[in-house]
Amino acid sequence: MDPIEKRELKRKAWLRLAAQRRRAGFLRGRVVAVSMICFAVLWTAVFLQMETGNDPVLASKPKRVVARVEPNRRREPEVTVKTPAEVEAAEAPVEEVTPEAEVAETEAPVEEVAPEVEAVEPEVEEVAPEAEFVEEPLVTSQS
Amino acid sequence: MSHEAVENFECFGGRCSVRVADPDREAAAAAARTGRRTLLEAHRTLSRFDPASELARLNRDPRPVVPASPLLRQVVAAALTAGLRSGGLVDATLVDEIEAAGYAETRDFAPAGADREASTGRPGGPSPRAGWCALVVDEGACTVARPPGVRIDPGGIAKGLLADLVGEALADFDRFAVDCCGDLRIGGAAGHARTVLVADPGDGAPLEELRIADGAVATSGITRRAWIDADGRAAHQILDPASGLPAFTGIVQVTALAPTGLLAEIAAKAALLAGPDGAEAFLPHGGVIVEKGGAVRVVEPLACVPTAGVSA
Repeated sequence: MDPIEKRELKRKAWLRLAAQRRRAGFLRGRVVAVSMICFAVLWTAVFLQMETGNDPVLASKPKRVVARVEPNRRREPEVTVKTPAEVEAAEAPVEEVTPEAEVAETEAPVEEVAPEVEAVEPEVEEVAPEAEFVEEPLVTSQS
Repeated sequence: MSHEAVENFECFGGRCSVRVADPDREAAAAAARTGRRTLLEAHRTLSRFDPASELARLNRDPRPVVPASPLLRQVVAAALTAGLRSGGLVDATLVDEIEAAGYAETRDFAPAGADREASTGRPGGPSPRAGWCALVVDEGACTVARPPGVRIDPGGIAKGLLADLVGEALADFDRFAVDCCGDLRIGGAAGHARTVLVADPGDGAPLEELRIADGAVATSGITRRAWIDADGRAAHQILDPASGLPAFTGIVQVTALAPTGLLAEIAAKAALLAGPDGAEAFLPHGGVIVEKGGAVRVVEPLACVPTAGVSA
């Protein structure tokens, strides 16, 4: 092999090596860019959720309170407002409410509650509800 | 529909009330009764004038370390907090001084003209003795430590703290308000704002109107628990720790807003003792200052403090 041919082979080998390195560099760059974009998107999503006050950790506490307190509160309007037939029909399932059903009730979206409220309004007028209590102002004075 | 259960009663040397509003009327009424019972029991534990109270026994005890109930430990911790947050202006260890000023036992108060007192109008300062610095609460051992002879009079600190403790127990109800002789803790799950009127230090007429959804307000002043001392001078219960004498700083009354009753009480008293120039620094959540000449200053809350639901 003459020196010229040998130098040509060396040049081609160097070119292949350079191309390989370039490809590796591109790949590395793409991986870094995709990772950064994913991180930025996820971070933005979390930031926006927290910024709008929808911290899922904090949201879980009120849910527990509602699950404990709401069932009693909801039964009261049902009894006073529905027709006797509806009340009879409603009372049986109320006694047999399973924990899962209670959870479903407390987590039910607003749409489920809305129809009840609409049905309630006309009868509430007939019943002549008690006057809304007026909060008397509190006074802060020297203790 | 919400119904408000109200319990009015005498406690802490004044009028207290517990108000609870909730659709479940029975639960609200039971909670209000429990709040009343809690405050009355706390009064029996913390009365300085009842020799049988736990506080009086602690003040008499010659031992440096004394076993104490959870409530008394909380009160002593609150006294330490008051000293730290006010830079020593709110000092719960000035029992000797308040007794020397003429308030050694339950007494009648009469308008003493404290607001017209022509004294220097000098701001108060911390006591050189700083007895509050020696207070130690050991929750592990359930004890309170202080040098024998250092006596504790929590005064308004206990009222603010008790308003908080009862308020915490009522947090799940729609609306509640705990009134410990004018120290108010307001809140509730419904988040409704409530109107609070600031009483005039003279005739008690409404001076300003506040709206509070979740927070506390306390008022400290020199005109209500006031008397004429043995030398014929106007005296009252707010002492300047630096001199040990009734403080005449140029401010007659301060109403402070804060997230808790304890912080509101500390802020109100510290602002009163700081005088007209330094008062606002103790009112980051807002308040109302009544100066000696009758001028009323409304302090707006700082934007950077978490004042959600509290507005002046």
